[in-house]
Amino acid sequence: MVDAASWLPTELTPMSHSLDVLFDVALGVVTFFFVLVEVLLVTFLIRYRRTKTNQTGVNVHGNNRLEVIWTLIPAAILVCMGVYCVKVVYALQTPPAKPEVIKVTGHMWFWEFQYPNGLTTKNDLRVPAGENVLFEIHSADVIHGFYIPAVRIQQDALPGRQTEFWMNADTDKVGQVFDVPCDQFCGSGHPIMDAKMTVMSPADYEHWEQTQLQKQKQNSGQ
Amino acid sequence: MEAAVQAPRKSFIREWVMTVDHKKIGIMYGVTSLFFFLLAGLFALLVRTDLLVPSGLFSPQTYNEFFTMHATIMIFAVIIPLLTGAFGNYLVPLMIGARDMAFPRMNALSYWLYLASGVVLLFSMFFGMPDAGWTSYPPYSIQSQGPGIDLWVTAIHIAGLSSILGAINFVVTIHKMRAPGMTYNRMPLFVWSILVTAYMQIFGTPALAGAVTTLLADRHFGTVFYDATAGGDPMLYQHLFWFYSHPAVYIMILPGFGIISELLPVFSRKPIFGYHAIAYSSVAIGFLGFFVWAHHMFVAGMSMSAGIPFMISSLIIAVPTSVKIFNWLATMWRGAVDYTVPMMYASLGFIGSFIIGGFSGVIVAEVPLDMHLHDTYFIVAHIHYVLFGGSVMTIMAGLHYWFPKVTGRMFNTKLGHISFWFYFIGTQVTFFPMHLVGLAGMPRRYQSYLPEFQFWNDVSTIGSYILGVGTLIIIFNLFYSAKYGKKVGNNPWGARTLEWTISSPPPEHNFTELPVVTENPYQPYSPQEVEEVATA
Ligand SMILES: [Cu+2]
Ligand SMILES: [Cu+2]
Repeated sequence: MVDAASWLPTELTPMSHSLDVLFDVALGVVTFFFVLVEVLLVTFLIRYRRTKTNQTGVNVHGNNRLEVIWTLIPAAILVCMGVYCVKVVYALQTPPAKPEVIKVTGHMWFWEFQYPNGLTTKNDLRVPAGENVLFEIHSADVIHGFYIPAVRIQQDALPGRQTEFWMNADTDKVGQVFDVPCDQFCGSGHPIMDAKMTVMSPADYEHWEQTQLQKQKQNSGQ
Repeated sequence: MEAAVQAPRKSFIREWVMTVDHKKIGIMYGVTSLFFFLLAGLFALLVRTDLLVPSGLFSPQTYNEFFTMHATIMIFAVIIPLLTGAFGNYLVPLMIGARDMAFPRMNALSYWLYLASGVVLLFSMFFGMPDAGWTSYPPYSIQSQGPGIDLWVTAIHIAGLSSILGAINFVVTIHKMRAPGMTYNRMPLFVWSILVTAYMQIFGTPALAGAVTTLLADRHFGTVFYDATAGGDPMLYQHLFWFYSHPAVYIMILPGFGIISELLPVFSRKPIFGYHAIAYSSVAIGFLGFFVWAHHMFVAGMSMSAGIPFMISSLIIAVPTSVKIFNWLATMWRGAVDYTVPMMYASLGFIGSFIIGGFSGVIVAEVPLDMHLHDTYFIVAHIHYVLFGGSVMTIMAGLHYWFPKVTGRMFNTKLGHISFWFYFIGTQVTFFPMHLVGLAGMPRRYQSYLPEFQFWNDVSTIGSYILGVGTLIIIFNLFYSAKYGKKVGNNPWGARTLEWTISSPPPEHNFTELPVVTENPYQPYSPQEVEEVATA
């Protein structure tokens, strides 16, 4: 029996942690208003239920002060949320210094990864923990969506245009494997276009990259 | 009595096929779109059934066709035609005190075009269904084989033409044909919402037509609008598509807001709270609705910071919507709330469910959070809380509310309440779990999925069956009662808008003498007059 996944997955990077903090804040705000509206709704339904056929409601057409209040308060809260989000956007977007660049190419229907030493793999993504990794994302055919739920980021893979995002895996996640699904509809293989990402220690990563490249050269040399 | 003078019975062709009467056209829109509602619901049940097990029960190609057909039919052949074509056509002339729409023949034409577009979609079930989703993004939709996408484009084109003709008709009718004394600030709020919706259709639909025309040209005429290797750009399609399709979300919800604004005061026996706030917030939504489209494209290839203006506009548009919610709640405050079937759909059904879609909308509007949630089941949950918990609930509220006016009979109240609880519970059971698998990272449009997502998917599927049963009960109740229901008088709810001042069903030209309007329809109730309604 597999556990039912029903909340945010593992936080793999410091950035995914700060995105989850933002999510919790946003969820807190909307939950407050959700509870407020539902409580008022149910209270009014019960409290003001019509019990006699000739019963009527009070003669009130509106209240300008209330209109101003319930326009300005949500507006002010949304402005604060907006400002908070803008800060996170720039932190997300600013590329890190000297990243390990991995080229990602979406195909119908698999992911191809090309590492800095020229090694290419299919559906097998490895990243060094504690180091900045930048994904340069392309597509060889239709639009795909390069998505790592544990990182909380996705970018579409487009033909003729490069998209990118970066990550820096926590060192305590070494050895763990994460899903890398395709998140933009791309045809009948869309749901099985699922790569796996393994987090490695930088030394192991280095070693793996070299030995795989050797193997690949030998294979193609035969 | 008019009935004493037996008019010769008209043939079916004369009475329906050749009619230009806005009420008959409205009924034809309603019946046709309820048929498509059943069909789209069937596709939804097939989609949900596939997802009972992680490996999926159908082939991926079949599954892709099912969800494409489900969404296309629901949007273009059910929700939009029901709200504007059925409710709008039937009610607007009655509510503003007119004898018909401004252009009755064009009105009939827009119905027949709508039917034609639906028939094209039906054809595709025999000749090859579209498989690229209702968004039909190129380049996939250009590579897709068979006639499915071509039929889809054709259906969209015809539906769009029908929409534009209908919208022009509403705009002219509302501006030009109001009864004496019916100033803009005395118009029923439903009419306000249809006016704004019509303007949105006129400004938005051409962009959609452009998107699908270029798509068709790329498929067959060798153009390269969306071919990146030849210098085209697939993102252009997405901009054009969403420039229509985000406003379309408001096209599908604003008339519903209008329905709610009519029902709440009647069943609370109170004037609407904040008439002007509700009317003008519709205008604000209609205007702002054209500046948010790229929130569907935060991860589609634009830089993250380019999403910021669209994030801001998408957050701002939540303000006029929340203004409406608070005004509706205030309308019920210290009212005399009657638990009728339409009121249950409007209060608990609509307000209680729709706000979940509104709040998840605020979350996915935030660029950093959309990086994770985009194209996951969280979005599927969001759109269904808006369109099902929102639009469809308002449709059910409206169908039950105006049913006695249209048929002269009352639906079965007991069945009505039962169907409501099927709908309310079914909606939550089907759509709420989608938030959870979405948060966990399950992408949408997946015919198969990882085993850890099975539990909540199965819960959703069970919920969808509850909705299916509820739908059958509603349809049975309405069609059975139209023939055998208890007869009712002109105004069984004690409502104030003009359609309730004339007979049920209304006479052919609505008003023998045009009414003179002196105030808006949301006036306080006196105990004497409600006594009269109760005994009538
Ligand atoms: Cu893909
Ligand atoms: Cu939108």
